[in-house]
Amino acid sequence: SEECVLFNEEYMTCMWGSRETLTANYSLYYWYENRSPVEECKHYLQDQGVSIGCYFNRSEIIQFQPFRVLINASLGSRTLKILSKPMELQDLVKPEAPVNLTIRNMSSNQLQLTWTSPYPKAQCLEHAVKYKSNKDTNWTHQVKGDIFSLPSVDYEKYYTFYVRSKINSYCGSTQLWSEWSVPVVWGSNSTSKGTAEEQLHWFWIHTVLIPIASCLLLLVLVVLLVRMERVWVILMPRIPNPSKNFDELFITHNGNFQEWAGVPKDVVESFRPNYSENICYVSELPPKDSCEPLWESGNHPPSVMPGAPAAPREHSPYKNSYVGV
Amino acid sequence: LSHVMATTFFRSIFRVLPLLLLLSPVNSSSCAMGNRTTQIREKYENILSHDIDELVNMSAEYRDRCCKNKKHENSKVFFCNDTQEIESLQSMACNMLRFFHKQKISKDYRWKAALVSCGTLQVLQCKCERHKKDKVCMQVNTHNKDTEKSEQSKKKCNQEFCELKENISSLRSCWNKFEKIIFR
Repeated sequence: SEECVLFNEEYMTCMWGSRETLTANYSLYYWYENRSPVEECKHYLQDQGVSIGCYFNRSEIIQFQPFRVLINASLGSRTLKILSKPMELQDLVKPEAPVNLTIRNMSSNQLQLTWTSPYPKAQCLEHAVKYKSNKDTNWTHQVKGDIFSLPSVDYEKYYTFYVRSKINSYCGSTQLWSEWSVPVVWGSNSTSKGTAEEQLHWFWIHTVLIPIASCLLLLVLVVLLVRMERVWVILMPRIPNPSKNFDELFITHNGNFQEWAGVPKDVVESFRPNYSENICYVSELPPKDSCEPLWESGNHPPSVMPGAPAAPREHSPYKNSYVGV
Repeated sequence: LSHVMATTFFRSIFRVLPLLLLLSPVNSSSCAMGNRTTQIREKYENILSHDIDELVNMSAEYRDRCCKNKKHENSKVFFCNDTQEIESLQSMACNMLRFFHKQKISKDYRWKAALVSCGTLQVLQCKCERHKKDKVCMQVNTHNKDTEKSEQSKKKCNQEFCELKENISSLRSCWNKFEKIIFR
């Protein structure tokens, strides 16, 4: 969409894009409703061969008449027509920034700021002033008539003032402020010089002294840290390494866990699959007086286990078992 | 003979008089004569311009989708003619007064528009050709609308609203032109 601005009512530009966004051929036609015939723009504004706007001189501008533009965008065989809404050119005026800003000392610490405007109709302007002192961080804004007064000033500070203008609601309906004027300062020479020196002083402190001091301090802390092992150990504790405890297992006993753990040999053997255990019969020796005739009857050698040898045979879980040790 | 001549003389005058009245310009200004631009400017800047701003702000609050791309038949009243700004303002203000009784338009809006019309006529010290329009101004100036219950709901967009809105916009522009061109 197009954007038309009347610069100080001396000339007008209607822009519809920039070189980066435009690819087609553009042409502009304009007219004032119920007043003039359609005319083509006589002075196109170009950027690297592409038309991006139209320039209107003063004789082509009529305020208080509905103004319309038609933009033709043609790319190859296709043409796109963009018709604007009716515009009132008096609502598109952007005045020039005020000039000749002057400060006067009034009585009782009061400053008065005056200016003049290149715009011809002073009764149609409203103005805005922004100012701050060298000790302030934010600007103070005020919308004013033709004269601005600062009621009380500090002589130890210096102030900077800017002014800009806009068409007021008596003459139009716009939000287009002018650019800020060239600033004017107020404050004694010595304070301004002193401030410059002070600023240089602060610059050296901030950019040179403080970084160097910080680095030195850091270095000292690091050296102390390394030297004091008690502190070092707390900050960087030794990570326990249990591998040394297992040197014997892996080196001496070759990974034989049972050997290293001291497991008894028969327990080790009992876990073998082809293990067969000798049955060890245990019997109680009968007392002497009750069991003598038995021994005399035969040539049976006195066995340690005179119990019932057949019984084990019957009850033996092993086929190849034998009596005796 | 002298008696007949006198009678004839007076009769001819009496015939001419209606002719003179007939031939007098139809659009004779019903505004007060005299160069009062300073007073007009003061009243416009200090009082009327604020009412116009409020009325324009009110226009923006109402739905206007039905107003786009519509041409109005009675378009002559919307022009602020060069060197005839006062007459154009008078014409616009008088035209705006006919919306005062349009029930399809919100009452607050109608009332404010009538206030601005009557204010315009008062500042310019003009009257409307149809006297019943002046009665509207008497009503607006004396009657306190605030005592009445204001409307809760806003009315739907309609063509009468669109016409009034355009009339307000033209009146505002014509005042802007007046201030810019007349006052140097």
